[in-house]
Amino acid sequence: MCGLPFPVDENVLIGIGTADDAGVYKISDELALIQTVDFFTPIVDDPFDFGLIAAANALSDVYAMGGVPKTAMNLVAFPLAKLGGAVLREVLLGGIEKLKESGTVLIGGHSIEDDEFKYGLSVTGFVHPKKILANQGLKVGDCLILTKPLGTGIINTAIKGGLASQSTIDMAVKIMATLNKYAAQVMTQFPITACTDITGFGLLGHLAEMISGTEIGIRIDSSLVQILPETVEFASMGLVPSGSHRNRKFRENMVELKSNISPVMRDILFDPQTSGGLLMGCPENQAENLVKRLIDNGVEESAIIGQVDENLKGIIRVE
Amino acid sequence: MSNIIDARGLSCPEPVLMAKNAIDNASIDLSKAKPIDEITVIVDNEASMENVSRFLTSKSFRVEVFSEGGDFKIIGKIDNSGAMSKPEPSNSNSEPSIKSSKKGSNSHKQKILVFVATDRVGFGDDELGKKLMISFLKTIKEMGDELWRLVFVNNGVKLTIEDSVVLEDLLEYEKAGLKIMVCGTCLTHFNLLDAKKVGETTNMLDIVTAMQLADKVITV
Repeated sequence: MCGLPFPVDENVLIGIGTADDAGVYKISDELALIQTVDFFTPIVDDPFDFGLIAAANALSDVYAMGGVPKTAMNLVAFPLAKLGGAVLREVLLGGIEKLKESGTVLIGGHSIEDDEFKYGLSVTGFVHPKKILANQGLKVGDCLILTKPLGTGIINTAIKGGLASQSTIDMAVKIMATLNKYAAQVMTQFPITACTDITGFGLLGHLAEMISGTEIGIRIDSSLVQILPETVEFASMGLVPSGSHRNRKFRENMVELKSNISPVMRDILFDPQTSGGLLMGCPENQAENLVKRLIDNGVEESAIIGQVDENLKGIIRVE
Repeated sequence: MSNIIDARGLSCPEPVLMAKNAIDNASIDLSKAKPIDEITVIVDNEASMENVSRFLTSKSFRVEVFSEGGDFKIIGKIDNSGAMSKPEPSNSNSEPSIKSSKKGSNSHKQKILVFVATDRVGFGDDELGKKLMISFLKTIKEMGDELWRLVFVNNGVKLTIEDSVVLEDLLEYEKAGLKIMVCGTCLTHFNLLDAKKVGETTNMLDIVTAMQLADKVITV
């Protein structure tokens, strides 16, 4: 999108210029609007599950900015003749269920006929202008906390190939459909320095965004990163989405892998996620308490996975 | 039999699935004389090249990749004859061949197992003993490919953990194909299971079996 003549407004607190999760517009000194939109083609066979996942994914950007979602609109492109209205209804029901759980109201939407089914939502939320969490702002010594396991991109590739077991599909659906609401509830009570949600760029891609252009680096202990069952097996078979390879090509100059990191682990760390977890930075002395509170609030896979290191300038070292 | 798959124009995971189908179908189709032992897959992007190579490796194919224009030609071969006649000390997959090769064919090449039960060599001065052990493990490569197994037990397992002075050397040996076995009971005893950075955690039965198969056992 570089070089396009975007309009300018002093109330834009976070705009299209940074690689943030959503845009933020200041209404008053007390209130700012968060806006985001996301949609994609089906990644699972069950229409209701797809609805759950698409909505959890669209809502996630608001949570990652430290805000609370308020309203949403559906975006639908649907091959009515091919799939029939009942399928669409199931998808929309799934979306509504997640909106309800998040406390967001559906106030409209738009649908068109299209040969390829796509569904998603635009979501609007509120945040206090002084409490916005951008993806940059990490401080030296901060611990990095990740709230969901990795592997959904690789598992979705295995699902496409018909190789994933039902129990693995169920587990991946559950993780993708989990709202980041519960993680955000805890996070906003801590002095978080930066936050993003893990989506298309994979863990290492999003970490790279958090330090890109800064003087700090990050150490990641790969043994602390939670990984979904069967992910390693599928990645070892070569069922790695091309997005993972693209993510690596794009960011490999910022990533240093120790010799004990296998290509399989590397691909998992670059695996593009759907509705991934929150990745946040927090002062070291509060990090363990934060993880404990996250787990107490039901975000059970939360873990400290690394730390900001001033000696690694602009580099992510994976051990 | 061999097989050529043209997967150009397709993206992940299609090329992997095509290779998988070809191999799976051949192994269940009784009308065919034997399963695929050579397969060629042509792809037009790097991601598919890496994925197909990894898939074939996971199925025990030896993989070579040729770049032609924008395309990649991946050739996987299962080398049956080679694995049977030449016992590769580096390759644990060729285990079945060990028995037949023990007596006879390659009589000039023996299999040496080195059993390291301590982190220092000899008795007397411990500082000197530790230095000697470092020197021993750095020099052991002079045995060449007759060095077949390196086994660490008791205090010896401390040489395989993250702050071991010889860790880099051991990692290099392992990379070169030497099988390093580390006693799991011992790691657990010292609470070092997570600290171990090289070798395969193993049990006494595997160690005893390896000793029996070896032509020579050297205990340190």
